[in-house]
Amino acid sequence: MSFGILSFGAYVPTFRITRQAIAQAISWASPGAKSQKGERSFANWDEDSITLAVEAARNCLSGLPRSVEQVQLASTTLPFADRSNSGVVADALRLAGTVSTEDLAGSRRAATSALVRMSRFTQGAPSTLLLAADTRETRPGSAQEMLYGHAAAALLLGEGEPVALIRGAASVHEDMVDQYRANDTDYDYSLEERWIREEGYNKIVPRAVQAAADAAGIALGEVHRFIIPTSASIAKGLAKILKVGEDRLVDPLAGQVGDCGAAHSLLMLSLALETAVPGETLMVVGFGQGADALVIETTPHLAALQASRGPARYIAAKRVVENYTMFLSLRERIEFDFGMRAERDNRTSQSAFYRRRQDITGMVGGRCSACNTLQYPRSQVCVKCGEMDTQQPESLSDLHGRVKSYTEDWLAFTPLPPYIYGNVEFPDGANCMLEFTDFAPGAVQVGSEVRMVFRIKDFDTRRNFRRYFWKPAPLLAQ
Amino acid sequence: MAKGIKDKVAIIGMGCSRFGERWDCGPEELILEAFKEALADAGIAREEIEMAWLGLFYQEQSAGKSALPLALSLRLPNIPVTRVENMCATGTEALRGAVYAVAAGACDIALAVGVEKLKDTGYAGLPERTKGTFDDLWLPNATAPGAFAQLASAYAAKHKIPMEDLKRAMAHVSVKSHDNGVLNPKAHLRKRITEEEALKASTVAYPLGLLDCCGVSDGAACAIVTTVEKAREMGFTDVVTVKAMQLAPSNGYEMSNTGWDGSYLLTTRVAAQKAYQEAGITNPREEISMMEVHDCFSVTELVVMEDLGVSPEGGASKDILDGVFDRDGKVPCQVDGGLKCFGHPIGATGLRMAYEMYLQLLGRAGDRQISNPTIGLTHNLGGHPFRNVASVSLFGLHAT
Repeated sequence: MSFGILSFGAYVPTFRITRQAIAQAISWASPGAKSQKGERSFANWDEDSITLAVEAARNCLSGLPRSVEQVQLASTTLPFADRSNSGVVADALRLAGTVSTEDLAGSRRAATSALVRMSRFTQGAPSTLLLAADTRETRPGSAQEMLYGHAAAALLLGEGEPVALIRGAASVHEDMVDQYRANDTDYDYSLEERWIREEGYNKIVPRAVQAAADAAGIALGEVHRFIIPTSASIAKGLAKILKVGEDRLVDPLAGQVGDCGAAHSLLMLSLALETAVPGETLMVVGFGQGADALVIETTPHLAALQASRGPARYIAAKRVVENYTMFLSLRERIEFDFGMRAERDNRTSQSAFYRRRQDITGMVGGRCSACNTLQYPRSQVCVKCGEMDTQQPESLSDLHGRVKSYTEDWLAFTPLPPYIYGNVEFPDGANCMLEFTDFAPGAVQVGSEVRMVFRIKDFDTRRNFRRYFWKPAPLLAQ
Repeated sequence: MAKGIKDKVAIIGMGCSRFGERWDCGPEELILEAFKEALADAGIAREEIEMAWLGLFYQEQSAGKSALPLALSLRLPNIPVTRVENMCATGTEALRGAVYAVAAGACDIALAVGVEKLKDTGYAGLPERTKGTFDDLWLPNATAPGAFAQLASAYAAKHKIPMEDLKRAMAHVSVKSHDNGVLNPKAHLRKRITEEEALKASTVAYPLGLLDCCGVSDGAACAIVTTVEKAREMGFTDVVTVKAMQLAPSNGYEMSNTGWDGSYLLTTRVAAQKAYQEAGITNPREEISMMEVHDCFSVTELVVMEDLGVSPEGGASKDILDGVFDRDGKVPCQVDGGLKCFGHPIGATGLRMAYEMYLQLLGRAGDRQISNPTIGLTHNLGGHPFRNVASVSLFGLHAT
């Protein structure tokens, strides 16, 4: 038994917009933007940093016991300033009530700094789920609109059979305001790129990297892959400064995903772990008002986890939109008129939610101990055999369902018309009418197989609240 | 052993307002319009009414809670008034309360009124309500067309009918009801449509187009009932009596269990069987002269033909296209235009259906009169296919 990284995972939302589509839409004001290539990811209207983190965590924990003792959620875009965001994640994952939950914020380095702290454990470390997610909004027409993406990543740390060990770590703090976002604003304010490169990356990152290598007792030449969350050109410059080959740089996913803020270092790490071989040495860097660096070495246990984890499947499962106003509206950058039905008051009965919080956040239904029928929602009387007080809690969130009936409703309000919903059958008799997500019009059929994903169910815009629930979504390709 | 309600209660007067976008009327005026007709029809004084039932669905957005909207509108002399609500079966529930009261001997003459004032809400379609219960935490924010559209997707899949073919049968349902609505001066929508127009109408909720959906209307309807014995004393000879009134609400099975395949209405099947038993009907296709069913959407009418046992399983499309339910067909359905064209003021709808049966049975249906009807069926479906309240009632002639 030794301490280290026990598993990893990632999630990239389905939606992409091509940079060409953005460039065309804003070319009247920024003709120079046209040279931008590739796509950026963006969260669907019903996704935020909590739901992205849940999906990355499910990817990380799939097939493993959920005996997590501590959940840490790193993000600069946590939806709640006061309500434990990691607590919502813990309930969605149905972790034990004794779990310790902690939100880590205020820095793009929030996740790598937590990892540096965790690296100090040699024994007695709690089983920790370290999550990083960001959904940074961008001002229409800004450089960030092209550069940023939305994603999440996860690491399970603790004692066991690690897939990777942390060999050394170091942090450097420098209050260099290369970019910032004040609490009361939506957008990042970014300074001149040349200054950030020369005075920031080129001077601060090498100090952290060298310190981490020294702590691990290795030379930089022994590092197989460098994970540096920045542009390809800055990373190439750093490779020169560090005197290592450009071929050692891990793809920053600029062409497929974009810069995912606090999630980006762990996203790139999970990308590297997806294809790494045992005995590889990785240097993971975090940057922002200083730098973190960690030397990570993979072990033979990695191979057993690689088939089902990491971002590659999510990067492949994309829905590309070319419609700039659709992108803006889904991220609420423009106020689209959805008519009177969008005015509905969506107050949440918090006492009703608290009573049924496991049912809602964990999609916990009941299995009748008399007739074995699974049902959602659970109740005191079995819907099949009528026996009372026989239902044992059981979640439907990890089950696959089959569409029994559906509609594409153009009358009902949804930020992404049509509103697709229908009856979904689950094993052992359960049936639910549910709101679907991530399906394009025409994609759902009677008989379609679906998986469940944790999403925003409704926004209460008047009281700045959001509710979460589970929705059927398309299966991922194996 | 209970004997049921058959031939115990006579309807001695009925009235129905013109349905539609009644910008000229509030709920009080709508109630009065129906009530005056019924009172004159029964030939009684307002003071002879001893008890009343009010059916109203959207309380705050329509006429208000409690007995008061009716008691105040009619200035009733402090008699007992009960407000009932059972979604789209609300009007039928008001009638059931009045019928049971006179049958029980609690009073001699009772009044049932159903009303809905929908066009003051500002919505095209039914209004949204404020959210706040447990169901709102997880159920989709479904609309009525979206909920009923799923009947079509599940039905087509179950019976392996191409959606284009099913849509054609659904279009015939709407074309037929529009044809009938033209003949009804009180109907909301009085314009013929073609099958092609129905098929080409813009999609509301796949596969339902605009012309697959019923009207959202203002309106009121009412009935005055008494016992058959009292009717005889009052000098009525041939009267319309209640042959059966049955109600079946869901218990959650459809929504929570895979045993229901989404293609039919379980509660309608239960209510129909019980109603046939109460009325002594053994072969509905042969014995029922005419029907007013809950055609909130064309596909609802289609599957209901099977749920009522009038069409064989999977055979409704053929019956519809063969004209079985046309006004000159074997079992005319929605002779007054139905929810589709007469309109659907929710609280009034069940009583509006009974009104048509009453007129037809007494031979007073004017241009749309069918020949020699003996038994009429009304059917309501409140809620959505996966969770609803169904009612099936039968009416017929009875010699006092």
